[in-house]
This record gives sequence, C-alpha cells and structure tokens, in this order.
Amino acid sequence: MVIKHLKRLHGRIMDSINSLFKKKSQVRLGLYGPVNSGKTTLANTICMDWIGEEVGAVSAIPHETREVQMKEHVEIAGNGKKLVFNVIDTPGIATKIDFEDFVKRGMSKDKAKQRAKEATKGVIESIKWLDEMDVVLVVMDATKDPVDQVNVTILGNLEARKVPFIIVANKLDLKNAKAWQIRKTFPQYPIIGISARTGYNMKELYKLIIETMS
Amino acid sequence: MNIKIKFLPYERLKELDIPHLLEDMKKDTIILIDAKLSVSQETAIIEETMKAISDKFAGIELSSLEMSADENVSLFEKLRGRFAEFILGKRRGITVIGPSKTIKRIKKNPKDLFLEMSG
Repeated sequence: MVIKHLKRLHGRIMDSINSLFKKKSQVRLGLYGPVNSGKTTLANTICMDWIGEEVGAVSAIPHETREVQMKEHVEIAGNGKKLVFNVIDTPGIATKIDFEDFVKRGMSKDKAKQRAKEATKGVIESIKWLDEMDVVLVVMDATKDPVDQVNVTILGNLEARKVPFIIVANKLDLKNAKAWQIRKTFPQYPIIGISARTGYNMKELYKLIIETMS
Repeated sequence: MNIKIKFLPYERLKELDIPHLLEDMKKDTIILIDAKLSVSQETAIIEETMKAISDKFAGIELSSLEMSADENVSLFEKLRGRFAEFILGKRRGITVIGPSKTIKRIKKNPKDLFLEMSG
C-alpha cells in the first residue's frame, strides 16, 4: 500500500519536473495578425537570422499561409541572454473570405474556391493555437488603419489568456507607414516598429522578445 | 438590394445561437446589439462565420464599441453602472454585425461607429 502511494507520488513529481523543463526548453513564439500584415515575412526574417532557413512562402495575394507553420529550436539572443523558441507562423485572421477576390487577382474559379475553403480552416486553426502560445508577436501593417476588429479581438484574446505579447508595426520601409498611429491606438501595450522585409530594427525586436520572456 | 436591420437587446443574445445570427446575415440582415460583446463571444462569432462561408456567403463585418462611463458622472453613478454590468453580465456599448457583401466597411471612431454600405 505504502509502496503504491510512493510510486504514485514519484510519478507526479516526475511529471511536474518534465513539464517544467518542457516549458522552459520550448518557448512557443506565435506570430498573429490580420491577413497580409507580413507575418510570414517576419517569421522568415527571424528564422533566416538565427537558423538560416525560411518558414514559408510569401505572396501579395491574401491567405498565402493557410496552415500553421513551425520552425523548432530557433535560438534568439538579445540583451546578453539567449532563449530557444519554436517559431509558429499562423494564417491571418479575418472575418470575411470571398473567393471572388482571388478570381479578381487572376486565379481560376476552382482554385479560388479551394483557396477560400482552406483559408477558412486556417483562421479556425489560428484561433485554436492561441492557447498553445507562450509569447506572441501581433503583426500589424503600419500602412493600414489599426482600428480593425481583427486586431482588437486578437489583443483581447491574448489579454484574457494572459499571454505576453508585443505589437509589431511592420512595413516601415513603405513611405505611407504610420507607426505612430498604432502607438496612438494602443498606448497601453508594448509596440516596436520594424521592416521585416529590409530587416530594419530587428535587433531591437530580438531584445524586446528576450526582455518580455525574462 | 433589400437590406433589413434587426435591433437585438443584449439579454436576447443569450437565447439566440450564433448559427441563427448567421442565417439572418445570409438574408442581408444587419444586426445591432445594445452592448459590447465579450472577447469570447466575438471569437466564437468569427469561428462560426468561417464554418459558414460558402460561394454565396463571404463572411461578415463586425465592430464593437465600448462606452466608458461619462467623466462628468459622479463616482456613485459610475459604481452603480459597474455593478449593473457585473450583475447582468452586460458591457455598455454597441455592436454591429452584418454581411460583408452588404457592409463595405465599419469605421470605428473613439465614440461612434460609421457604416459604409456597398453601393
């Protein structure tokens, strides 16, 4: 009887130790945001900088990323510290997906319908993955109006789940980028301006990611 | 296009399921709710919308506006408002949901929502 209890206690202690190490050795860094805000470009820049590999394809046509993509064991350094991340690029979240938009961009009707169907599944998958994240980069297109319901819903979800996050004002290489507008809209959150395409300010982003996790 | 607007008291939202709301929107109905939806309600609406998207239904436009208590209102009034929200589970504000084919965009200003309809 006593041995049985001791064995059970030993099992519980080992489970706790394993989950503790698992959490510390696999920090999940999620990239969230509306469609075409530059999430995959940013995931590619991060992964190219630290492991020399890309995560996925990018395109000007919306919903290029329709499945969650992950690169494991990405060691990021900043502020004299290093942490290992699983970089998780998620499909853009949207409230509407019209296959006719893809047809207008030159896609055949059948392909457009297929893309729309996959994109709807991608949005659902993105939402489901919210619970799995340890830290999130909310990627916003600095050339667009940040007062977007998708942005508000993502931020609200992260706050409710107590997942730490950083707002990334992306596309600062473009002339009409207005990072100040994002700062004005969300003054209560940590915000950094970058260009994932040119690599502008990426070092500061890495520092901020490490700082957020420390 | 024959556009319909349904005014929905927040209390009735508890009775209505999201698929029901989506059925209304498929029939070009815009829904106005006299409260701000919670994050979980908004997220559930987005998820269910994705499941409902088809060749004929392209999705929705959704926007919520939270009304913070008037600065000139007394502390007692503010506390009373908060207490009522707590009891009813209702957040002061307004929510607009409608089919994306009908609503071109919803512009959210700090104190109001502006609907631009598809022409």
